[in-house]
Amino acid sequence: MSMIDFLTWLDATSLAESIRDSVWLFPVFETIHVAAIVLVIGSIARLDLRLAGLIGRDRPVTEISTEMLPWTWASFAIATVFGLLLFVSKPMVYLEMAFFDVKMILILLAGLNMFAFQHMTFKSVGRWDSSPLPPVAVRLAGGLSLAFWISVVICGRFIGFV
Amino acid sequence: MLQEFTDWLSHSELTAFLSDTTLLQTWIIIPLSQTIHILGVAVVMISIGVLNLRLLGVGSGSQSFARLTAQLTPWIWSALAVLLFTGVLQTIAEPSRELLNSTFQLKMLLLLAAVAITISYRVTTAKNPNYWDTSLDRRRTGRLLAATSLMLWLGILSAGRLIAYFGAFES
Repeated sequence: MSMIDFLTWLDATSLAESIRDSVWLFPVFETIHVAAIVLVIGSIARLDLRLAGLIGRDRPVTEISTEMLPWTWASFAIATVFGLLLFVSKPMVYLEMAFFDVKMILILLAGLNMFAFQHMTFKSVGRWDSSPLPPVAVRLAGGLSLAFWISVVICGRFIGFV
Repeated sequence: MLQEFTDWLSHSELTAFLSDTTLLQTWIIIPLSQTIHILGVAVVMISIGVLNLRLLGVGSGSQSFARLTAQLTPWIWSALAVLLFTGVLQTIAEPSRELLNSTFQLKMLLLLAAVAITISYRVTTAKNPNYWDTSLDRRRTGRLLAATSLMLWLGILSAGRLIAYFGAFES
């Protein structure tokens, strides 16, 4: 079964049909999707800016990450579920949008950056947890994360605009 | 009066420029403005979330409510300034889509109430850092305000997104 076959099948499911047919479902799902994304960006930005040494310099990085990351993950899960529901309603339309592909790649890159940070850079957190200006590798991870997520929002907005 | 203002704005040169879809720049200015608007919403929502949850007694235990208020309100005001600017730009591009839309009008009303609550946090904690902790009554009022504030901001965000779908002025 090819990708197109799968999407054609998806497009014809009763779930896709009911989202398309309803006046309310798509807007409500989209609102929840946006609310969740806003919280993903807000929480991750608070951590990223601390990693970059730009805000909250008097507080340990781990304190801010313990405070923010549950928000990030919970919101990301919600954004994904409702994003999928939006996608299901018109898979063929999204398939043809370059901004959609770029957005997915950017989310992947943001995830890879986070994974690398967690498993490499973060190992030495004991040495820079409380330092106002963390080492370059840490600041770079924060800056990259911020750049990726802002680009995700740009693509998301353009998907809705085209 | 709102109708007249909307008519006047609709015929202004700024609106003509920002809504001219034959120009490449309007295809960039408006979505870019909307993107910045969303980023501003992110700053407001996370700040409001942290602040109100702290008042509700959830999270940020190491920081007092007064300290969080002093730290976060400048972020909220700066973000709101950005939201106002980008919002005005988007309104100028499509005056009647916004100003005469009942969802937009509801959003503005909710915004006034939400901003009033945020100002009250700043004023009370500046007077007394433990203001919301001095009696059981105050604590209750604080929690009620925090819950109301959270609901209001969620309402503002939802209304903002739903302007595109509901409440359009029909003539």
